[in-house]
Amino acid sequence: MAIAPLLRKMFMVDLMKGLNVTFRYQDPKEVYTEQYPLERPVIAERYRGLPRLNVNPDTGETLCIACNLCATACPEHLIAVGSQRNPVTKRKEMTTFTYDVSRCMFCGLCAEACSTDCLELSQDFEIAQYSRDDLVFDRERLERGSEPTVYTR
Amino acid sequence: MLDYITSYFRSTVTPGQANNQFWALVYILIVFGGVSMIVMIMNWAERKALAHMQVRLGPMRVGPHGLLQPIADALKLFTKEDIMPAEADKPIFWFAPVWVVVVAFTGFIVVPFGVAHAVTDMNIGLLFMLGVSSLGVLGIVMAGWASNSHFPLMGSLRSSAQMVSYEIAMGLAVVSAVLMTGFLGTGMYGIGEGTASGTLSMIGIVQAQQAQHVWFVFKFFPVGLVAFVIFAIAMVAETNRTPFDLPEAESELVAGFHTEYSGLRWSLFMLGEYAAMVAVSSIAITLWLGGWMRPFASIHGPSIAIPFFWEHPELGVVDMISYLVPAGVLFLLAFFCFFNALRMPKHPAMRPQVIGLWALGVVMGGIGLVLLAPPVRDRIQDIFWFVAKIAVFLYLYIWYRATFPRYRFDQLMRVGWKVLLPVGLGVLLLTGLIGLSPELVTWIKGVMLWR
Amino acid sequence: MTDTSKPGFYEDAGATGTFLDANEMVLNMGPQHPSTHGVLRVILKLDGEKVLGTECIIGYLHRGVEKIAENRTYTMFNPYVDRMDYVASVSNGLGYCLAIEKLLNVEAPPRACYIRVILTELNRIASHQLWLGTHALDIGAMTPLFYTFRDREEILKIFEKYCGARLTTHAFRIGGTQYETYEGFEQDVKKFCKFVAPKMDEYEELLTTNRIWLQRTKGVGLISAEDAIAMGVTGPVLRASGVKWDLRKAQPYSLYEKFDFEVPIGINGDTYDRYLVRVAEMRQSLRIVEQAVDSIPEGPIMAKVPKVIKPPVGEVYVSIEAPKGELGYFVVSDGSTQPYRVRVRPPSFVNLQALDKMVRGALVADVVAVIGTLDIVLGEVDR
Repeated sequence: MAIAPLLRKMFMVDLMKGLNVTFRYQDPKEVYTEQYPLERPVIAERYRGLPRLNVNPDTGETLCIACNLCATACPEHLIAVGSQRNPVTKRKEMTTFTYDVSRCMFCGLCAEACSTDCLELSQDFEIAQYSRDDLVFDRERLERGSEPTVYTR
Repeated sequence: MLDYITSYFRSTVTPGQANNQFWALVYILIVFGGVSMIVMIMNWAERKALAHMQVRLGPMRVGPHGLLQPIADALKLFTKEDIMPAEADKPIFWFAPVWVVVVAFTGFIVVPFGVAHAVTDMNIGLLFMLGVSSLGVLGIVMAGWASNSHFPLMGSLRSSAQMVSYEIAMGLAVVSAVLMTGFLGTGMYGIGEGTASGTLSMIGIVQAQQAQHVWFVFKFFPVGLVAFVIFAIAMVAETNRTPFDLPEAESELVAGFHTEYSGLRWSLFMLGEYAAMVAVSSIAITLWLGGWMRPFASIHGPSIAIPFFWEHPELGVVDMISYLVPAGVLFLLAFFCFFNALRMPKHPAMRPQVIGLWALGVVMGGIGLVLLAPPVRDRIQDIFWFVAKIAVFLYLYIWYRATFPRYRFDQLMRVGWKVLLPVGLGVLLLTGLIGLSPELVTWIKGVMLWR
Repeated sequence: MTDTSKPGFYEDAGATGTFLDANEMVLNMGPQHPSTHGVLRVILKLDGEKVLGTECIIGYLHRGVEKIAENRTYTMFNPYVDRMDYVASVSNGLGYCLAIEKLLNVEAPPRACYIRVILTELNRIASHQLWLGTHALDIGAMTPLFYTFRDREEILKIFEKYCGARLTTHAFRIGGTQYETYEGFEQDVKKFCKFVAPKMDEYEELLTTNRIWLQRTKGVGLISAEDAIAMGVTGPVLRASGVKWDLRKAQPYSLYEKFDFEVPIGINGDTYDRYLVRVAEMRQSLRIVEQAVDSIPEGPIMAKVPKVIKPPVGEVYVSIEAPKGELGYFVVSDGSTQPYRVRVRPPSFVNLQALDKMVRGALVADVVAVIGTLDIVLGEVDR
């Protein structure tokens, strides 16, 4: 009868080891919680959040050329790009842009397909709205982008 | 009238022994309120301690560091809809939680918080407490049966079998402690000539430890320790806590015997469970850990007297230091409050919480100052050490819950019957043999001589 | 509804002709249950505490993923694949991309393969960590859950920095990877490897020698090697029964043959062995990651794949070693831009068949432990 395993069983060494682990973790430095509204999390640059249409920073014009590649690439067919041909420059110009965020799965295929740097998935993750219609973004909402929500309580 | 009241403060017997109904009633109210307070604090402490062991924070929003969470929980439970299953047995459904709570609280009549600070001191106090805690099983069986559903039924049957089997192990450990009260010698192995009157009274057991200058957990080392460990394991099983909490296992039986109870009725079950935890902890403390005695109660140190501060030249330095410990603990708590109040985030929404925490710190400091006043300081010792030991036990309960997995039901019964029972019997035999050893030696000598 | 007139469940479980014997009870561990890992319904026939028979009812999470595939192009279907086994989404993506690459007869360049291996093995560690936490929670130990989730956070942070999402990663594309590794990718991965090795020791300290854990898992849910092979069980469940079969060694894909790692094998095929096998697999995955991150070759990350993917007519079956078992994709192409049929062989679905055999004669508490040890994800079972 091996004596060491018997002693380990009698003195409940395995249970004591477990108790030691949980005791050590009470150190306040080990706490992993981020208190959310007060501490905002750090979001990676490539994070695929809410979409945004970029505008030319100097002129304020949209960078979209209405090539419709994003709408073709989307698996859920939730992008609708309206365009009209400009008679002067003979180029297509984007008039309306509808993006249905409620069906979006944030796969990023639309942003990959965009030929200019216009459509981009930003770092915004606070998506919740009070009604379904607010989740269908039009051009104006997309160009405005999102500001971080300010919490007062 | 004032003389009547102040004369009571100098009493050396419990109200029950002094046949004083008024004070008995006062004590009952104090004990009831105190245990309820302990239950509420335990609710908060369990969530916070469990959270910190699990690298998270626990409740932080309701009140500073979640201190008002138990109140919010209680309010929520009181205002919840009272649901009763359609086919349930209504009178028994109503009665089961009431029974559990009544039984849990009745045992506190004999729990001694000090030499004169129990409601009464029956000469069979220990037997009374064990008997009353056994009655709790009936409440659980009633709850499971009256719910008229599979999960509660299975939970209550398991729970009753578990509680009954672990009571036997508890009883054996308790008897070996009672045997130890019959010795006259002092120290860890002292037996002495002749026998004191062994006693079942709770106050008597602590006084026996006092007379023998040793806590029974260290008596006949390691026999007393083994008896204490058996009782410690059995009491965790008795109160249905991890690792023996299969009856209320959340992942297996949804919630066991209190599945169908919601709102106020559920909170009564929870109250009964925590009160039972405090009750069995008190038994363990009284029997093995010296009850209300401070550690090293027989070491007094050199005599000392300091005017206005310490006017007891008959007691020593060590006593003086220990008399300051309650106030010291409260000052430490106040310091924690101030420290955490300074570390709170500076957001304006947090301001009420910060103010609340400062106020709590001030209140704790105030109570600490009150505890420094000589009339209070001299009388609060027993109660403080007893409650401190209860706090240690409750922390152990939480620690076990965080660490251990759960026993399966048949393994649980195996531990109770095939491990704890034989060891308990062995401890009982050993205690008896060691206690009788002078007589045994004489008898053996006589036998050898006769041969 | 179960057809009680048909022979099968009730007769097989030993019912004596009548619907239920006097001391038998039917217990419904319904779709909403704290420990069925999703919406799984298990009907148990009990004699007191002993289980006489079980019946699993699935389909509560069926979303028609395979049908959706018939109406999407090959690139468009890539994000949907992550959502099946949402815990190990990188592996799902890898399997699908490998299948389409085989159809197209292209191979991802070595740099892409190394990046794929690193992410897939990190995902294996993350999936096993989640398994360990939830399994321990089912058995009653509530703290390992929080420890494993905390460590898993670090992996998810790496995923977020790499491809933009934590859970439904959509990390790979047909022909390679879309994203180049970000600045500091190697440092992050190396830091993670150093960080997580002592944590794995801690999980073991809490559980492996714990007597309560041993009693709950040793001898519970036994399945022999022959039964496992007969039922098509794969993954750690098969390896714990003693069968040395790992697709990464048997049919290497994505340059796995370049890495030096062992395949842990169990002895008895009980729950404890499955636990040991998965913990050992976590350490081996760590080894692979450390080797790979030291030696990522330079080069392109995407093979030459046409913009519009139109594979030739044909069919292909490609399977990989996902954390839960053998994940297979059977893709039939009819020459157009949309597949004709995509059939997914989910490991959890096939492993779930073994539940009945493992649990006959055990107690109710063991059913929960066995469901946990099979490591099923209902998203994969139901698709």
